[in-house]
Amino acid sequence: MSTTQTEFRDLKSAATSHRGDRVFNRTITALAFTALLVLAGIAVFLGLQTIPAFESQGISFLTTTAWDINTDPPTAGIWGMLYGSVLLAVIGLVIAVPASILLSVFMVFLAPKKLAAVLTNLIDLMAAIPSVILGLWAFYILNPTADEWQRLLNQYLGWIPIFENSSGNFLGTPFIAGFVLAIMMIPIVTSVSREVMARTPPDLINASEALGSSLWTMLRYVALPYGRGGIVGGVMLGLGRALGETIAVFFVLKIVFDVNWYNIIESGGGSVATLIVSRFGEVSGEFELSLLLAAGFFLFVLTLVVNVIANLIVARTGRLQK
Amino acid sequence: MTVTFDAQSLPELQNQQIAHPWRKKPPIFTLSVILATVIPLAIVALVYVGTDIPGAVVMTVVYFPLQMIASGIAAFATRGKRGIADSIIIVNAIGATLFSLIILISVIGSLIIRGISALSLHFLYQNNVYVSPSTPLEYGGIGHAVIGTLLIVGISTLIAVPIGVATAIYITEVRGRAVPYVRFFVQSMAGVPSVVAGLFILTIIVATGAFSQGAFAGGLAYAILMLPTVARTAEEVLKLVPEDLRTGALALGSTRARTVFKVVLPAARTGIITAIILGIARVIGETAPLLLAAGSVDSTVLNPFGGPIASIPTYIFNNVALPYPDAVARAWASALVLLVLVAILFVLARIFGRGRLSSK
Repeated sequence: MSTTQTEFRDLKSAATSHRGDRVFNRTITALAFTALLVLAGIAVFLGLQTIPAFESQGISFLTTTAWDINTDPPTAGIWGMLYGSVLLAVIGLVIAVPASILLSVFMVFLAPKKLAAVLTNLIDLMAAIPSVILGLWAFYILNPTADEWQRLLNQYLGWIPIFENSSGNFLGTPFIAGFVLAIMMIPIVTSVSREVMARTPPDLINASEALGSSLWTMLRYVALPYGRGGIVGGVMLGLGRALGETIAVFFVLKIVFDVNWYNIIESGGGSVATLIVSRFGEVSGEFELSLLLAAGFFLFVLTLVVNVIANLIVARTGRLQK
Repeated sequence: MTVTFDAQSLPELQNQQIAHPWRKKPPIFTLSVILATVIPLAIVALVYVGTDIPGAVVMTVVYFPLQMIASGIAAFATRGKRGIADSIIIVNAIGATLFSLIILISVIGSLIIRGISALSLHFLYQNNVYVSPSTPLEYGGIGHAVIGTLLIVGISTLIAVPIGVATAIYITEVRGRAVPYVRFFVQSMAGVPSVVAGLFILTIIVATGAFSQGAFAGGLAYAILMLPTVARTAEEVLKLVPEDLRTGALALGSTRARTVFKVVLPAARTGIITAIILGIARVIGETAPLLLAAGSVDSTVLNPFGGPIASIPTYIFNNVALPYPDAVARAWASALVLLVLVAILFVLARIFGRGRLSSK
């Protein structure tokens, strides 16, 4: 590390001595701050749009659930949507995290090298599938299957509160939307957790095996603790993606302005991102548009916080492993 | 004198292979694996034939637990109590892999099966001006949407690639004091939801009246999503350029700028192309930003500032839930076209990515 540091300094002094290079350096530096400029721009311009929302609704814009724009006075609140986004993401996590970790275990420790390479490519391909295609697939292929499964869940496990369904309508449920989000999260979480597991030092694994460990004890005491930070970071990245997902959820979730607390196989739920797209098409005027922009601001803040935490975790474990 | 043991200092310890003792197979192992595979399958076949429970339910509720029990017993017979946990992990790991593969195959398979029927040559170049949702499949196509997508992606590439590569150059070549912060901002930008990017462009471009909805506004929204991908990939690639090339160029009297443009970037050329391809693949299917910033229309639009423009994702979006079978068939076919585009980009990225590694 120290040697590269000195190299940096030498190169820099060489670079700043020339006039053309000073222009070059300043241009590149200015362009490099585009990311900051965009983030600040989003925060400021969408943040300004929260003013009309709060002026007309007060804090109830965040704490209540309603969307009656044409009444006088209009009422609007996005609590149900914010909560719905988190609920969908949690359902997605419950499915995607165990599946991703098991998938990485298979790819790193069980599968032959060639099969593992093929699987890595397939998982990357899965990450590249656009969300509108997943939405189309979920609408026509997943929905009938999910309907059947949810009926069975309700029939046999309906006594558990989360599997209650009083309407008899099993389409447009948070469970289906969460399942679609899980499909989008699996490749993200898998690629990170596969990488950290593959980086477990072989001498640690061999040492644990020399001490008589089996696959399970090796995973439990060596590979998972070693990769824990990376896995948590990958999960948070997937979570950030799930919170912001719009189109795939749009096709499979029925947006209702009513908080669906935990009835995950009951039709109707909420999602901020999907609210924005579904209302935008029939937006009634300036005021409703600014409400949608304000909702977008809070979605931005939510995902930014999740992503910053994720990146801090990933960066910290990256340093520890070096 | 104390003797310290440092595993890193011993090359033979660093280079050792993982031994995988759980892979060592005693003879009874093969027999028990065969039994543990055949017996649950046989029972499930009987249940499936004998009752009218749906197949998928049989597989999940009957076969999966049964397979875990059978494998557990087999593992117990060969390796004792400690084998049980291993066998359960193995069954679940294979199960998770199959689950992911089944979903991937289902998505791609259904696209091919349902998309192929509406796919034809004229579907690729005709536009939708005289087509209503109930028009038969012999007329109309997504030519306007293909052109729109190419135009929007082209604009975003022109904007995002120079800035993204410049950001990477700042991190690896200029190496200013703000490197950790720039990296942090780029990573945070990667997490901006696509719908928020669309809303942002809508506020600063469309709502202020600077430009109307259209290819330019859509391209700007795409550029926000594309920039972090390009910047991060380009950074990884520029890091692979050997330090000797830079110091060599500087020693020959080259300026910093010339070093970057004549030595570093050409050395990383295929890698930069990979970064561009990955950036395009990241955005090409994004729908929400285009719904907000680009709009949609049935005719072919070539002017980036000439009002709403069609694109493949918004075309799919508009046709998915229509109550006309032909409109839905068009949605499937255009989704197939989109997936083929993504797959081509994916393969291109692999080819260029491999070229980079082998040339090292």
